[in-house]
Amino acid sequence: MNRSPTQTIVFWSVAILCVVALSAPTLVVLGASFTAGNIIDFPPDGFSLKWYVAILGERDLQQAFLRSVIVACICVAVSVPAGTLAGIALSKYQVKWAGALQIYLLLPFTVPLIGSGIGLMLLFGELRLLGSLWPIGIATAVINLPFMIWAVSSSAASLDPDLELAAQSCGAGPLQTFFNVTLPAVTPGVITGALLMFILSLNEFLVSLLLVDARIVTLPVQIYNSIRAIITPDLAAVSVVFIAVAALAIIILDRIVGLEVFLKSK
Amino acid sequence: MRRYKTSYPISWRFMDVLEAAFALVLPRGGGRLTPYLLLTPAVLLVGTLAVGLLYIGDSSLRVLDRSTFLFSDYWTLENYQRAFSESFTATIIWRSLVGAVIVTAVTLLLAFPYAYVMVRTSSALLRKFLLVALFLPFFIGQVVRAYGWLIILGNQGIVNDALALVGVEPLRLLFNYPAVLFGLVQYMLPFGVLMLAPALTAIPEDIEAAATSLGANWVRALFHVVLPMARPGLIGAGVVVLTLSLTDFAMPAILGGGSQDFVANAIYDQFFRTSDQGFGASLTLILIAVGSMTVGLIFAVFGAGTLALGANRK
Repeated sequence: MNRSPTQTIVFWSVAILCVVALSAPTLVVLGASFTAGNIIDFPPDGFSLKWYVAILGERDLQQAFLRSVIVACICVAVSVPAGTLAGIALSKYQVKWAGALQIYLLLPFTVPLIGSGIGLMLLFGELRLLGSLWPIGIATAVINLPFMIWAVSSSAASLDPDLELAAQSCGAGPLQTFFNVTLPAVTPGVITGALLMFILSLNEFLVSLLLVDARIVTLPVQIYNSIRAIITPDLAAVSVVFIAVAALAIIILDRIVGLEVFLKSK
Repeated sequence: MRRYKTSYPISWRFMDVLEAAFALVLPRGGGRLTPYLLLTPAVLLVGTLAVGLLYIGDSSLRVLDRSTFLFSDYWTLENYQRAFSESFTATIIWRSLVGAVIVTAVTLLLAFPYAYVMVRTSSALLRKFLLVALFLPFFIGQVVRAYGWLIILGNQGIVNDALALVGVEPLRLLFNYPAVLFGLVQYMLPFGVLMLAPALTAIPEDIEAAATSLGANWVRALFHVVLPMARPGLIGAGVVVLTLSLTDFAMPAILGGGSQDFVANAIYDQFFRTSDQGFGASLTLILIAVGSMTVGLIFAVFGAGTLALGANRK
């Protein structure tokens, strides 16, 4: 199709502006982590890996990172089974009050994060659960659960129910049918969802901030607390961890389902 | 010859035991209850949130006694009266609402051409590049991104260092309202584009071609054909961006430096600085109400767009 050159120029300029704005913080953090100076400066003071060496000696940062990984793993362990079963149920079965159920299951998206975080903080406080990591994992699982359900139900829609009937008429029990027919059919959705849950939980800041105490800060909270004081390049080096994990997740996502899946119209 | 024994492997026996145990617990595989059993874990998980909301409601009705620092054991509407009478609340809600509206408008304005170029380009490589440029910040998280902006825009930041090289006095680029809005727009762009792109994919290119071949220039084709057809996507993207930016915490906290608080920051302060849990809880419910009313207003005026019920992408 022939497009007007003016339209091409206008749209392209906006797109390029967006790419620059989207990438600038990432690139700057990457660049700053390799500086040889003691403060972040422009033009940079030369190349060195000394800040990466420095964070190897900072136990606070390492522990915070470890805690974030634990939280993300708990989130995946909780949300993936729950979300997978719910996604299968919603897309395969006729459920009574499906409308009300959907509104209820979308609560984590409709209630703002600050509301969810405060609510869970009060609940966990009442149950005397604050101060350990697993409630944070549960909390990040709850607030992101709709992503998991969505990922699974969108791939369960392509599952042919006749396949399950065929398995059953060949003598497979309900468990065997589930593990050998149903689950493999939704695997791409499960993996996509699990990846999203891991990343979102690893990065979760506000809900973490509300649920941690000084002894169990997660990495985003640790970074937040440190940037209030002074900006040193060791924070940049730690932030590169997040950038690396994000890049890895994108590569896996692209390999498994292809990023283009997000452009498909429903 | 194959050994006869292996024709019924141990894993099958194991499966048989599991199936037998399962049948004992749930005869006929749960029967008509199956979908409800499958939904139970998710319903329970979201239940923690529902119970949490009840706790917020309860706290919001208890008022802090400033002499004993205890909360009243009776319910009262005092916190709400205070919230509605103090100018502080109005200022902060107004700042958040105006900010969210500006951020939504700018984000849609930027996201639309981005999504359009990404969906319509014939180059698969370019499409992939635009997708990666979108997903990378989306996956990195708000704190690291805000940290990047601090490095770029700070008083000793890259922009000011570069300006100093050409002899310009340092500019105060951070800790003001525009900085917060700028950070929010950058944070919201991936959400906006990813919500818009499917709606644009659904518009056949031929229709645009038809419009232009009938003599419409690109501006008319855009306003009379593409934008009206993309309306559901624009509403969906708009609502998501509006609610997320209205309730955001990190950008006002980090890029606003405490002087540009949004409602979420005020709530945090009530809980962790002033320790007035009751007032904080009432602010939380007011924020949820303001957010829902704004979304309701949009739905009433423009329709529900791609967020219509059942659009949970089955």
